[in-house]
Amino acid sequence: MRILIIEDDREAANYIRKGLRESGHVVDHAADGEEGLEMARAADYDVLVVDRMLPKMDGLTIVETLRAEDDRSPVLILSALGEVDHRVEGLKAGGDDYLVKPYAFAELLARVEALVRRRDPETVRTRLTVGDLEMDLLARTVVRGEEEILLQPREFRLLEFLMKHSGQVVTRTMLLEKVWDYHFDPQTNVIDVHISRLRSKIDKPFDRALLHTVRGAGYRLQA
Amino acid sequence: MGRFAPAFLRTTAFRVTLLSAGLLAASSLVILTFVYFASVGVSLSRTDAAVEDEVATVEARFRDGGIQSVNRYILQRSVGGSDFLYLLVHPTGRRISGNLSGLPDAVADDDGRLQFQYMRPPAGGEAESEKDERLARGRIAPLPSGYQIFVGMDVEDEDRLIGGMLRAVLAASALALALGVASGVFISRRFATRLDQINRVARAVEGGDLRRRAPRNHTGDELDELAANFNAMLDRIEELMARMKNAGDSIAHDLRSPLTRMRNRLDDALREEGDLEAREASLSQAVSDADELLGVFNAILSISRLEAGERRQSFSRLDPAVIVEDLCELYEPVCEESGLRFAAEMEPGLEVRGDRGLLSQALANLLDNAVKYTPDGGAITLRLRKCASGEIEMSVTDTGPGIPPADRLRATQRFVRLDQSRTKPGSGLGLSLVKAIADIHGAQLELSDGPGVLDGHGPGLRAALVLPAVKQVA
Repeated sequence: MRILIIEDDREAANYIRKGLRESGHVVDHAADGEEGLEMARAADYDVLVVDRMLPKMDGLTIVETLRAEDDRSPVLILSALGEVDHRVEGLKAGGDDYLVKPYAFAELLARVEALVRRRDPETVRTRLTVGDLEMDLLARTVVRGEEEILLQPREFRLLEFLMKHSGQVVTRTMLLEKVWDYHFDPQTNVIDVHISRLRSKIDKPFDRALLHTVRGAGYRLQA
Repeated sequence: MGRFAPAFLRTTAFRVTLLSAGLLAASSLVILTFVYFASVGVSLSRTDAAVEDEVATVEARFRDGGIQSVNRYILQRSVGGSDFLYLLVHPTGRRISGNLSGLPDAVADDDGRLQFQYMRPPAGGEAESEKDERLARGRIAPLPSGYQIFVGMDVEDEDRLIGGMLRAVLAASALALALGVASGVFISRRFATRLDQINRVARAVEGGDLRRRAPRNHTGDELDELAANFNAMLDRIEELMARMKNAGDSIAHDLRSPLTRMRNRLDDALREEGDLEAREASLSQAVSDADELLGVFNAILSISRLEAGERRQSFSRLDPAVIVEDLCELYEPVCEESGLRFAAEMEPGLEVRGDRGLLSQALANLLDNAVKYTPDGGAITLRLRKCASGEIEMSVTDTGPGIPPADRLRATQRFVRLDQSRTKPGSGLGLSLVKAIADIHGAQLELSDGPGVLDGHGPGLRAALVLPAVKQVA
């Protein structure tokens, strides 16, 4: 897919660009806010990665301007500011996700790829399917093959998130943010334990594993 | 006031004192002047009334017995040491009788009163030289047939009294002004001296000598209070500087080991060219070392932000049970996985004021520590209760080795990891982050013994966040 990076720090921009290219994406780069806005207007990008602090025009203004022009391109805001208030501000301005520096590239990649799916027409899906795993969002039931799987409410939400992003890597931090609404990283492997519990319910009794661990990054649900 | 006037003359205290001294002098002048005119008026009108009475007496005598009777009366009164001064004048202007030598050449005022100097004849036995010049006041009354009579009184004593009063009034005002100026100079000099001491300390501190403190006199006056606050501020700055230096050292120390480890692993990876699997293992270890470093950075950033106190605006009323329940749900599996019994006790329907994310983070940190340090077979209890004082206590109790009382204070300081071997993951910032979160919530972080030693476990640690009771809006 086509990604625009608006980031004034060349080193950081090159690092992201290289990584995203290696993951098979087409990447453009703008070094200041005005140039970034022009480029975003001129071409149709699948995702914009926008640094919050930029010369000439700050990241939030770019996003606000694009949104005012009815450009719905998914935006990931990068920021050195980790405050919750700042994150809320970023999302309010129209950002779709917010990542605090310093971050691991795997985290950025997972979030960028997770954003793309959002461009699909936002039909209200009541049924999610990955392989032979099916989730009914209305009846709150999960079935794999012929067997109904009983899940705790949180396990259900965890699986729902994984299914919505099936085929994509989701990081532990993403799960903590989206499933638990926590914006800190616990120092114990709490998420891994939840995943392993979920795995024992949806994978263990079956031949093929759906929930995969991606080393150094997170997890991926894939048929 | 000139540019180079002494410092004390430029002080606010001096100006204020000068102003109040001036006002005091002016108001005493006004009051005393009023008193002066009031008493002068009383004294004059008494004299004038007595003179009028005497004039009436003389006129009555003239009606009854003519000029002869008046003359007799005056001769008699002049000799008999009367209070009055008389002069009976013939129509031709010749003096007939009286105790004055001649009519005064003073000009009468609007009321026909004359005021003039006269020579008082010496009283019996007194020498000629004792004759003195005195002040008289009275009026000339016309009598029938062209005769005239002057009736007056000696007002020298009153005049002296009044003159004395006038001088006293002026002197008092001048004295008030002088005292005011003097006290202004005195006060402002003290003021200026003490302010100067504080200023000198400020300049010394600015110059790098953080040890200097403003002298105090412990009287509790404003300047003393200023000095106290000033010193408290310097204490705080010094403490922060020391902490920063300490933190800098600790950061360097904390970052060095994972950086060295990472470097070695990368080095290994370079040399393990042939063995792809070993190479990948080294690289992924290096990545987790880097993640650990990022964790340290994030923790440092969070603590700095918290200490800057920016987050307080996002506080709201919360049900702590919701926070605790969510954390139970998050941590229960990891406890079970680590072979620990997990229990939660919570009181419903309580209220705290704070930030959900931060309070969750604080408790999560305490739970992380409990999970990390409690050996297999132990237990962790998460408890929420309302204290008798109305404070809300959220605590995590474990059956691990605990923290010796002597180390508890140190444990909440930045970067202190009591476990010197550093075998457990973590930045060493966990408890200091909890402390910072407690601080901005006005809460206490209490560390105490857990349930005690039992079956090779314990004594355990009980870490409690004690939040202030929420004030009910009336």
